[in-house]
Amino acid sequence: MLITGLGVISAAGNDLAETLQSFEQGRRNAGPVTLFPTILKSPVFEVKHLPGEYYLEGWRTLSLALVAVDQALKEARLFDLSGFRVGVCMGTTVASQLNALQFYKTYREKGAAPMTSVDRFLKGNLAEYIARRINARGPQLSVVNACSSGTDAVGTALSWLKSGLCDIAIAGGSDELNHVPYCGFNSLGIANPGLCAPFDRDRKGLNLGEGAGVMVIETRDTARKRGVSSGLFLAGYGTSSDAYHLTAPSPEGVGLRSALHSALSESGIGPGSIGFVNAHGTGTHDNDQVEGRALADIFGPDLAMLSTKGFTGHTLGAAGGIEAVFTAAGLREGWIPASAGFENKDEAIPISPVREKTSITKKYAISTSLAFGGTNAAIVIGREAEA
Amino acid sequence: MKVSGIGMICAQGLGVAVFEESLKKGWQKPGETGAHWLAPLDRLSKSSKAADSTNSGDSMSGLTGLGNEKAPAYLVKFDALPDKTLLKKIRRSDAVSKMAVLAASDALVNSGIENIAAKRLGIIVATAFGPHVTTFNFLDDILDHGDAAVSPTTFSNSVHNAAASYIAMSLGIKGPTLTITQFRFSFQSALQLAQVWLDQGRCDYVLAGAVDQYGDVLGYVSDHKLTTAKDGRIKPFTFNPTCQVPGEGAAFFLLSNKSEGNGYCSVNAVHTNDDPGQGKPVDINIIDADGMLPDESAYLASLSKDIPTAAYSPLFGSMMIGSAFNVAAGALMLKQQRRYATPVQDNPQNIHLLTESGSGPLETIRCIGYNCYAERSVLYLAKA
Repeated sequence: MLITGLGVISAAGNDLAETLQSFEQGRRNAGPVTLFPTILKSPVFEVKHLPGEYYLEGWRTLSLALVAVDQALKEARLFDLSGFRVGVCMGTTVASQLNALQFYKTYREKGAAPMTSVDRFLKGNLAEYIARRINARGPQLSVVNACSSGTDAVGTALSWLKSGLCDIAIAGGSDELNHVPYCGFNSLGIANPGLCAPFDRDRKGLNLGEGAGVMVIETRDTARKRGVSSGLFLAGYGTSSDAYHLTAPSPEGVGLRSALHSALSESGIGPGSIGFVNAHGTGTHDNDQVEGRALADIFGPDLAMLSTKGFTGHTLGAAGGIEAVFTAAGLREGWIPASAGFENKDEAIPISPVREKTSITKKYAISTSLAFGGTNAAIVIGREAEA
Repeated sequence: MKVSGIGMICAQGLGVAVFEESLKKGWQKPGETGAHWLAPLDRLSKSSKAADSTNSGDSMSGLTGLGNEKAPAYLVKFDALPDKTLLKKIRRSDAVSKMAVLAASDALVNSGIENIAAKRLGIIVATAFGPHVTTFNFLDDILDHGDAAVSPTTFSNSVHNAAASYIAMSLGIKGPTLTITQFRFSFQSALQLAQVWLDQGRCDYVLAGAVDQYGDVLGYVSDHKLTTAKDGRIKPFTFNPTCQVPGEGAAFFLLSNKSEGNGYCSVNAVHTNDDPGQGKPVDINIIDADGMLPDESAYLASLSKDIPTAAYSPLFGSMMIGSAFNVAAGALMLKQQRRYATPVQDNPQNIHLLTESGSGPLETIRCIGYNCYAERSVLYLAKA
């Protein structure tokens, strides 16, 4: 399945070109929360300049998604969807919940409240909204698998395409920075008071972020009929459950290992074919230790590996979509950036992320996601051999 | 794909046998729940902080304690369940997760397949609203105690995939585990994806189901945007104007491509947004009409004078995931080769209704749903 379009927006940049500049310069656009009032201090990665034409009152997650969707469609030269069965599969966390604090506060105080927030929620199912906006008539699905939602959405799109449910899929994830999860992650004691440092010995937790990452994926046959080509393809997807704990990963990384093996198996390749892994790498103690050990065991300690959350923060349901786009871009550009925030090797983790811009020559890369609830997901992206 | 086991929990209780009994009995008056939004506004405004310890852990406890305002609702009664072993195991979970775990576990037991949880089994949970009551409880935390003093347990239970996680943990399932939401077509989307997983060998079995919960905020929203049937009778064939009675529950299906276990039926096709089989003869049409749209006239375009139509929402209540319960009814009828009369038969449009229960050959059933955009989803069930 060819990847013919990429779209991304995050604190690292409003598109892929800006993002790659941030990567090259090691720019980390974090700061205090400005989107809502709070007494909490953990820095966040906000999108500071949402393009005005995409602004939708009270629908920031949708706005971010539409930016990325439009970029991806443009790159895929997909301007008219008529005649194609186009599926939309998007991951999110915030857009699935009626966590409208002001609505609820008013309702609690008065026993009644204006329905504006409720109407937005009911009309704002992420996949459904995008599908209606671009007139996509294939399957629609909003994946709400917590932090692996974006990766699972891309993987589900691959399954749809393979099964013939659609010819083209628009897949990824989108989430805004929201007051409710910001308080929630702080309550769990994993919000970093400083900047996150994935895989670092002295890591102190995550920073939340926001953004969207979207891919246009299509069958080779459809791409050929449309007269488009691409140097990238989606090779495989694996997902598995730890069945261990609601918020902590299995110490042995049981589900992650299974997801990685499934993704490699579907891709028809072994671990040695992988040029780099864009890890989930949140910067929390448990995630990084479990993930680092599993990656080292499967791919060896010399694997080129990074976490891009040092540039974007943890964007929750969007993370898998954003990181899939970054992974595809790394293969296409032939380099990955230094893993932002990493300075000191953790002796408990037998693998370290890259410290500098690193050339990539192999043809495959993996993006991983680990989520609340013990779900784990991995996708394999490939680069076509040059003619 | 084949339906090899069904588990469910709804107002009538736990288990497919209980649901089948309710199909036989026909419509029963639902229970009631507090409906503070029906109180005069001047009383509401004075009482927002009135505590009411009798409210069962729901948010907005102050408001629900007001007066005697009541509204009909089909609510799950955990206290009435005879065996609470599993409930004790998941005592820290919220009501959505409890319903999901009970129904999912029931489906595995119902299949009769030994050691099924250890096989290549995946989970797909569909929900329209997820753990919204827990989300509002978390908002209570923020409003009452501030950003820095909220409960981590409440937060982790408010995440949409908590129910799937509890299913995986309590039943020891380590396969693919996914939670999805697509409002009215959530369950249909889950079945569609289950078929894909099975066909592509991602797993050998899929435990696919749907869960949604009633809560007083949702009750207020429903009553505000829709018309509640004060007598508790959903009239699915009235179409316009419609009336709803909130429901809650979970229904799970053990699916595989093999004929194994407690064979109910096959799910031959799942279509969302279209129906290539429109006009195809079937034995029964089951429609998801339940008053959750102010105008459900779109269903009329899918019905035929030659095919009897049923709708079982008056047994379990109005839910965006109600399709899962209608599919369970269809699966039961195909397994038992027995028709169950549609429970409420008000019929102003003079539709060909399934008015009488009785045995007889059944080959195929079509389950039809519409969303608020008048888009159609269709499922075809066939005799195993």
